[in-house]
Amino acid sequence: MSTTVLIIIGAAIVVVLLWLVLTYNGLVRLRNEAQQGESSIDIQLKRRADLIPNLVEAVKGYAAHEQEAFERVTAARTHALEARTLGDKAAADGETRSALGGLLAVAEAYPQLRAVESFTLLQAELSDTEDKIAAARRYYNNVVQRYNTKQQSFPANVIAGPFGFGPREFYRIEDDAERDPVKVEITA
Amino acid sequence: MTLQEQIRSARMRTVLVLFLFVVLVALVVAAVYVFFGQGFGLIMALVAVGYGIFAYVAAGSIVASASGARPVSKEEAPELYRTVENAAIAAGLAKTPDIYIIDDAAPNAFAAGRTPEKAYVAATTGILALLDRRELEGVMAHEIAHVRNRDVRLMTLAAVMVGVISMIADMLLWATVFGGGRNSNNQNPIGAIIAIAAIILAPIGGALLQMALSRRREYLADATAAELTGDPEGLARALYKLAVDQHPLQHVNRATAHLWIESPLRDHHGLRSSVGGLFDTHPPLQERIDRLQEMGGFQLPPIPAGGAEA
Repeated sequence: MSTTVLIIIGAAIVVVLLWLVLTYNGLVRLRNEAQQGESSIDIQLKRRADLIPNLVEAVKGYAAHEQEAFERVTAARTHALEARTLGDKAAADGETRSALGGLLAVAEAYPQLRAVESFTLLQAELSDTEDKIAAARRYYNNVVQRYNTKQQSFPANVIAGPFGFGPREFYRIEDDAERDPVKVEITA
Repeated sequence: MTLQEQIRSARMRTVLVLFLFVVLVALVVAAVYVFFGQGFGLIMALVAVGYGIFAYVAAGSIVASASGARPVSKEEAPELYRTVENAAIAAGLAKTPDIYIIDDAAPNAFAAGRTPEKAYVAATTGILALLDRRELEGVMAHEIAHVRNRDVRLMTLAAVMVGVISMIADMLLWATVFGGGRNSNNQNPIGAIIAIAAIILAPIGGALLQMALSRRREYLADATAAELTGDPEGLARALYKLAVDQHPLQHVNRATAHLWIESPLRDHHGLRSSVGGLFDTHPPLQERIDRLQEMGGFQLPPIPAGGAEA
């Protein structure tokens, strides 16, 4: 009889250990995916930051007196490059979007500028980058949602805490910027 | 159903179909055992496994050449490139799949390659001409969804399993006709009848399961695509245009049918399969559009009766 009890206890321990390993690895995988998602956002944000100086130069050539728009964009770019936490990055992202919107609105007033090929190329590049930032953000937020759900639901939550799997922040840009994304339609 | 519910439901149904697949294989194995006993059954199992591995390996890279696809550069097709890149980013793929174009006026697209690293997507010139950017985004997201969900590998495996089942069934049938089975004299007749029935029905059952699996994965890819673009309506509009379009696709065969965004085998003259689409690789386009409408909360006009059936 004691051997039966031992076998049952042994089997239970094996099952628990197996569950522990699987759950732990699942949490690690999702956490890494979220990390990868954040780097993917970073890459696209960097790409946009790299476009900004050229864009500012191009507009300056035709509208040198629109100082305020240039300063806003340049300041937003600096904030974006200095941001370290996810929240700061998202805030700087929203700021950059609305500043770029202002800059492109200025450009709209100069038909000769819109006829310059290098400017339309920059605009197309910017529009593509905006789409890619949005795509990277969707991926990140989807992963974070899965991670948070898993990490908070029973029984995974029993080990999530002790092993240091805290909830993760969503990448949220400010509402007004979200509702009114930069319009960079290319008019041929 | 909401998007997440649809994804969950498609996953559950995939598991169900795979389970039935395993049951089918077990039945075939049991039939072999009843007929020939352990010795011959083992030899047959080895042959079947060998054939399966060979078929799986050989199925690797025939798709692109078989459908007349050619690789395309970013300069040649910037919009196609961008939509694929964006969908790949949204899906979290480590690299953007290679992109091919097929010179064919019929609008269609497919994804192939067994791992996300080796994956590629192809679009016909017809679909590039037919769809606007938003619709193309939906379609390419559907293809990227197939890549992320590992559908190519799953469907290749399913095709190989059906092939193996058919091969075993053929061998058994052949053995029954010409040899009467080695051990048949000491088997009970009811067992033998069940075994024969299993042999005849197994390949059909396998094909049915394969098609059911393919349709489940199409629904899942639609739902995943909606998640990737955040725009179910774009894909729904594309499917609507595909439903109304009347060009037949040229480079088509049954073996690669499950790869396409919509069934390349559909009949343009209104002749429908009498078994209610059980052998179709794709669900009806109207049903796919309906599900996208459910998750997106929008409404497109129904596909006109003259439109083709998927």
